[in-house]
Amino acid sequence: MTPSIFSIQHFCLQDGPGIRSMIFFKGCPLRCTWCQNPESWYAGPEVAFKSHLCIGCNLCMDNCPEQAIFRPGHRDPSRCTRCFSCVDHCPSRALEGFGKSYSIASIRDILRPEYPFYRDSGGGITFSGGEPSLYMNFIERLSGVLKEDGISITLETCGDFDPGIFYKRKKMPIGVIDDMPEPTNLCRPGFLKDVDLVLFDIKLVDDLRHRQFCGKGNTRIQTNLSNLATLAKIGGGPRVWPRMPVIPNITDTVDNLSGWADYLLKSGVFYLTLVPYHNLGSLKRIWLNITDGPVIPALKTEELEKTVQILTDYGISCFSPGEEDWQLSDR
Amino acid sequence: MEAISLRDGIPQKMAEKIYPMFQPFNEPTERIACIRADIQKTPYSICLERPLLIRQFRNSLNGKKAKSEHPLIRRAMMLSHILSNRVPRIYDNEFIIGNMTSKRVAANYYPEGGSVNIMEDLFRLKKRQVPIHLSFKETVQLGVIGVCTALSSVGGKALLRPGRVSHFLDFFRARRYFITEEAGIGHQVGNYRDVVENGLCRADHIAKACLDTGKLADGTFLSADQEAFFTSVRITIDGIKTMANHLSNAAEKEALKPGTDKIRKKELLNAANALRHVPYNPSRTFLEGLQACWLVHVAMNMEDFEQGMSFGRLDQILYPLYRKGIDDGSLAPETAVEMLASFQLKTCETMPIYSERIDQYFSGNGVAQGITIGGTDMLGNDVTNELSGLVLDAYSQIKTREPALHVRVHSGMPAWFLKKAVETVQLGCGKPSFFGDRAVVNALQEAGMSEAHARDYAVIGCVEMASQGRTYNSSDACLFNLPLCLELALNQGYSFMGNTVFKKRIGAATPPADAMIIFDNVVKAFKLQVAHAVDEMAKIISWLEKCYRIERPTPVNSILTEGCLEKGMDVTWGGGLYDLTSIQAAGLADTGDSLFALKKLVFDDGRFTLSDLAGILKNNFKGYEPLRQELVNRFPRYGNGHPDVDRMTQLAADVFSDAIRSHRNTRGGRYVPGIYSMTCHIGFGRQTGALPNGRLAGERLSNGLSPIDGSERNGPTAVLRSAAFLNSRKWSNCCALNIKFDKKTVQGKAGNQALSSMLRTYFDQGGMQVQVNVLDADMLREAKKDPSLYPGLVVRVAGYCAYFNDLQTDVQDEIIERTVHGIK
Repeated sequence: MTPSIFSIQHFCLQDGPGIRSMIFFKGCPLRCTWCQNPESWYAGPEVAFKSHLCIGCNLCMDNCPEQAIFRPGHRDPSRCTRCFSCVDHCPSRALEGFGKSYSIASIRDILRPEYPFYRDSGGGITFSGGEPSLYMNFIERLSGVLKEDGISITLETCGDFDPGIFYKRKKMPIGVIDDMPEPTNLCRPGFLKDVDLVLFDIKLVDDLRHRQFCGKGNTRIQTNLSNLATLAKIGGGPRVWPRMPVIPNITDTVDNLSGWADYLLKSGVFYLTLVPYHNLGSLKRIWLNITDGPVIPALKTEELEKTVQILTDYGISCFSPGEEDWQLSDR
Repeated sequence: MEAISLRDGIPQKMAEKIYPMFQPFNEPTERIACIRADIQKTPYSICLERPLLIRQFRNSLNGKKAKSEHPLIRRAMMLSHILSNRVPRIYDNEFIIGNMTSKRVAANYYPEGGSVNIMEDLFRLKKRQVPIHLSFKETVQLGVIGVCTALSSVGGKALLRPGRVSHFLDFFRARRYFITEEAGIGHQVGNYRDVVENGLCRADHIAKACLDTGKLADGTFLSADQEAFFTSVRITIDGIKTMANHLSNAAEKEALKPGTDKIRKKELLNAANALRHVPYNPSRTFLEGLQACWLVHVAMNMEDFEQGMSFGRLDQILYPLYRKGIDDGSLAPETAVEMLASFQLKTCETMPIYSERIDQYFSGNGVAQGITIGGTDMLGNDVTNELSGLVLDAYSQIKTREPALHVRVHSGMPAWFLKKAVETVQLGCGKPSFFGDRAVVNALQEAGMSEAHARDYAVIGCVEMASQGRTYNSSDACLFNLPLCLELALNQGYSFMGNTVFKKRIGAATPPADAMIIFDNVVKAFKLQVAHAVDEMAKIISWLEKCYRIERPTPVNSILTEGCLEKGMDVTWGGGLYDLTSIQAAGLADTGDSLFALKKLVFDDGRFTLSDLAGILKNNFKGYEPLRQELVNRFPRYGNGHPDVDRMTQLAADVFSDAIRSHRNTRGGRYVPGIYSMTCHIGFGRQTGALPNGRLAGERLSNGLSPIDGSERNGPTAVLRSAAFLNSRKWSNCCALNIKFDKKTVQGKAGNQALSSMLRTYFDQGGMQVQVNVLDADMLREAKKDPSLYPGLVVRVAGYCAYFNDLQTDVQDEIIERTVHGIK
């Protein structure tokens, strides 16, 4: 599948060590109610409309090959082919297209001028989304190319991918001994071959609640997390660092926190980044004409402090994004 | 996968070994907090002591006698009169003694020029946005002084003459250029090393020997002018000595006052002793070194005017005395920090006088007394020392508008020092600013300096350049409106703005738009307009220079500048070893973006003819809003790492640099360009019509080397890439690049590492200068609404810092609006 990418950003300081550039892949298997990037849900291209920027010049109408626009901001989705002609003609950036495909070479060209900043700061590239693991082949090839340039790679994932890939083995020529370390028979998934760090997003530990708030169960996610943690421990995979969004009354309940704390400790992970909830995403929903999700109150400082306290009591070190101690070694 | 790179880790440990007292002293001691509070709560005022003393001198017997003397001697006698008759004032708690004005915080009044503009606000001093407190009597006195001296100022003498009226009007309107040299030259990094190591007595002895023998050191007989020069040096030094003595007496008197605290008494008596010794004699202790620098600095301020009087590389100059004190146990590091903090607080006693009209060009009440720290010696070896760190520690205790702090960045810079400098930046006061040694040294060599001298550079004021103690740089001679020249090039030398019937051509008569058929024609017309404006400007400056020789020579400055005593010449006569006049461009990014947009629209894509485009611009994009939006939003802009636009920006900079560099001043020195704009981009913007990059008529221009506000879409690293892409070799007066961060984005240890890395990479790529503002937009919005909320909030405006409340409303708006790089 050719991936669509909705944004490439430089100078990101909160998603892995050092100064990083982020590549946001479009498409996500989950639908978390609090999601702040609704433009990342669908894998296909989408057109967003920011009414406050529209100057009413009608250039979008005039240039639509399908005559799908009858008034600026009013588009017939059934006729729209997402050719982005309107986006390209909009002078004021009121129309924004999400989801373009890039070749590996062009991504490299965009990133290359930033290399010196990564190198000096110990930073690199972070794949995010959406869900980058939807495009395993592309990630594998892209990270291979970037690795050749000596760039460190981080991947952020919601963890919802096929756990089977931990068991798929390449056919070995006869006589070559499989070097997979014992005692497990896990193998490193191909798309994580050149990835140095996985930021693993966890949300709700309870399967039913996960279905309720994220639209899908979490069995695969939990399996993948413990598999990755095991791989990392035996040195057969990238480092895993969990992150959890702190959503008032949803993820910061005592049950959820203690459930995750147990699970993480059992998997041998004793650190966690807490991402405080903000509601900047609601504006993006309006631009994309998505009926607004449930209103979630802003996170209070006390609530965050309480969350930290509960997790710390379990022996989990909590960090805010960008302030992680990446040198922390596993027990 | 480790955040700490080798570069961060290893030198850090070494540094801790080499510098055992690596611990920061960030908390102000009680006495420093007291001095700071005193200064902060004092309302601004104007000190009339200097003009009154001048009048007293003119009416005195001596003054009448002076009229028949050589201009140099006349000036020295007057200066000496001012210095020796100022009333000494000792303030509580201070380590460093020597009042800058007769009030705690005030502006000196310079009847010679630079101050008369306050007359515009005379009847509403208290109602100004930044009120000035004067008693009724003082207001009347100010009015009388202003009226009586307005025509005798240097600017008046040079410009209010038959045949020069149109130039005067041109100067007054400040459209193509704003000639700041009219106010005074100021802007100097004197040879404070000499003051500390040898005292003023060295200059005094040289002058005496030359006068006694009637010869220069090399055996040449003295001319009448040279004789007058040496006499002026001796008279001036005598004045400084008297001032020091008066202060010494006052300190003694204060000490012997009944009820003075025992410790304070001892301190004051010590100070009295020191003041009898320095600055005439070599300094013996660290405190004496600071005291000597301060008194000479006061004398410099009394002499010319207040702008850009800088101290140079204090960490280098004072280090031997500091080391001596630490080694013999007479000085503790924490005391040294306290002394440095007290010294830095002294710089807050002064401010400039700007009327509200002038304020739009130089908002912020800064005079930029620069201290340069870090860097290399003449061979290029790193010479960062503990004192470099302590200067930053002292500043982080006080967080005030002055002084201006400058850190030199080079490849051999220890990691601990960069970390500490970034920590100071993270405090949110916009200080220090950073200078890349490689680019700066190259540019200074391009201006004719030897490599060794270029390596000993220090920053004048905000960003301007000098080899310390060797350079006479009229470094803020003039600010230049570069985009206006493009506007004139498209309209045969006429402005797009204003009256259409009775229009006067303000530029050169370049061909009409429809006669320009290739892009090179436009570039040529633009070059002609720039050259024309620079010619006119240089003509006015030459008149001023001639006046300065007679009316306003500067003996103190000459004592502090290498070359003068050797040649027997005042700096205004061309005595300095290196002599420069520097012109600054505003709106560079606007010009580059406009050239790019114009070329693409007209010559590459053929969407409009050039005369159509000129018509659209003349009508300020009326009826062409979609086009304007497209230009603003969809055209590549400088500051995004886009090589094609960056090349156009380079072209604009080169046209400007070449026009400037083709001139010589009347002292035989070179003209050099700089790329910074103070807040002139706002004042100039109001006078500039619509531009092909979609900027509307009257909007502010881009600031210094920074991209246009809001046009940087690829983050701060792309801005730095674009800036480092430009060839800065010709910019011998440096440049100012502003980047701002949301406080949240760059907080803590990770923020420190990211900023440090970003700076190192920028300077590795050949960057010249950058200043980093760490601010919180909400905080600023609140501060704008209610000025009493954050009285001490410091922001960096352009090359200098100011209290946010001192800024004009639209400058405040700009600071809030400026891209705050945060999370998307």
